Amino acid sequence: MHLFYLREAGRSFRQHRGLAYTAIFSLTAALSLAGLFMLLTHNAEEALSLMGDRREMIVYLRDEVNEQQRDVLIQRLNELYGSVVFVSREQAWQEFSQQVPKELLEAVDDNPLPASLHVKLKPALLNHTAMAEAAKQVSEFPEVEDVRYGAEQVERLDRLNSGLVRGTLIVGIMVAIAIVFVLYNTIRLTVLARRREVEIMSRLGASDTFIATPFVFEAMFEAALAAGVALAVLFGLQQGMAAQAFNLVFLPPLWALSFVGAAILLAWIAALLALSRVLRAVGP
Amino acid sequence: MITFEEVTKRYGERVALESVSWRMDEGECVVCLGHSGAGKTTLLKLITHETQPTTGTVSVGTFRSGRLRRSHRALLRRTLGIIYEDFRLLHDRTVFENVALAVRIAGRFSDEEVIPRVMYALEEVGLPLKQGAFPAELSAGERQRAGIARAIVNRPAVILADEPTGALEKKSADGILALLRRIHSEGAALLVVTTHQEVVDALPGRVLTLEEGHLVRDERTTGVIHGAASGPAAGA
Repeated sequence: MHLFYLREAGRSFRQHRGLAYTAIFSLTAALSLAGLFMLLTHNAEEALSLMGDRREMIVYLRDEVNEQQRDVLIQRLNELYGSVVFVSREQAWQEFSQQVPKELLEAVDDNPLPASLHVKLKPALLNHTAMAEAAKQVSEFPEVEDVRYGAEQVERLDRLNSGLVRGTLIVGIMVAIAIVFVLYNTIRLTVLARRREVEIMSRLGASDTFIATPFVFEAMFEAALAAGVALAVLFGLQQGMAAQAFNLVFLPPLWALSFVGAAILLAWIAALLALSRVLRAVGP
Repeated sequence: MITFEEVTKRYGERVALESVSWRMDEGECVVCLGHSGAGKTTLLKLITHETQPTTGTVSVGTFRSGRLRRSHRALLRRTLGIIYEDFRLLHDRTVFENVALAVRIAGRFSDEEVIPRVMYALEEVGLPLKQGAFPAELSAGERQRAGIARAIVNRPAVILADEPTGALEKKSADGILALLRRIHSEGAALLVVTTHQEVVDALPGRVLTLEEGHLVRDERTTGVIHGAASGPAAGA
């Protein structure tokens, strides 16, 4: 029976090519726009996560902290916040001296730099709120002199990230509405173009499901095809940009599959919405 | 099987049927005769639930008039076989596909059963060699035969025919009437609505005569019913 529905959907597609191609073209345009935003968001997220990887919390130790106390603290921080790298006073001075002119260093009698722990935070802590909370907790350890984590920069990155997510969401919703609108009207027109056939089927006792299923398959096929073409367009764009030295990466397979899946799901919803209304109007 | 109880149908001010009562039993053959506008088509539409009575009740098997759900209305129509004056075949499908569509719609048969059922129906109407033809490639008589094959392919208990010979020349019409007689003789109840006396003469059984929306004669009775027909026909 499913084969029958597929054949019927194919027949409808062939007989109303003009409508079908118009729908595919419109859907491809809308999906390309959504896909472009997804591509940019994905690349921005990649860049942000790279920057996020570099986010770390620097824990300055009191001078009187001995080796045993330091090791206990490192172990606690490792458990609670992320991987810890110890930088001794000597290492800190060495790094500092490589960045500062010798004349200035000569003015300093003794190494004033404290030993520190560089904590590469767990992914769950890589946002401003969590980092502020973690810094507050760490600063309460008695061995700790001070905690720094670049609060302002972290906050700015977080704002940028949430702005992109919001933008993707808004564009996604607009495109979803556009897809439903395009398919809703395409299906209505297709059913009206096949009004006589629908009427005859209805008189022969066809259920709404029997009449509607081929139209639903047709809409889902059109959406899948449009999503595939949109992905191909985006892939071409990404390759072109990559060749121009823009370091864009393409959508991961799971994103691409979700993109096609979402288009098919929207087509299904649009088809059901359209058919529930138009079949009542057309069927005798 | 089919019962009309005091059925009145109005379209605005116009009365299509007025207080019509009659009953058709299993295996019966009824010809409904009347001029254009007498209410014959309304009568058929009431049976198929394309329209609802203004007052009164129409029952078809276990289905009664009123607000039937769409799924139940479809189910009701699947218990009927309907033949149309203008054939109502799908132009883009072959004769085989047109008949097979009714089998698919019935939903009672597996894919393997579709072909033998359709071929059997086409043989019954004398069209097995035209199974691959499109309606436009057939004569009017052949198209009506294809329509009849579609109506009988699911072996419905009742076959409704709306002017089955209306669009045919005499020879084809005689062939179609002979075919309907045979289908009825095999056990199906047959309700034919027509404007032609020849159809009445050609089919056995009962004749209902409609005039201006009134059932004026039921020939199983003694003739004119109340002049303007009110109350159940004697045959009901």
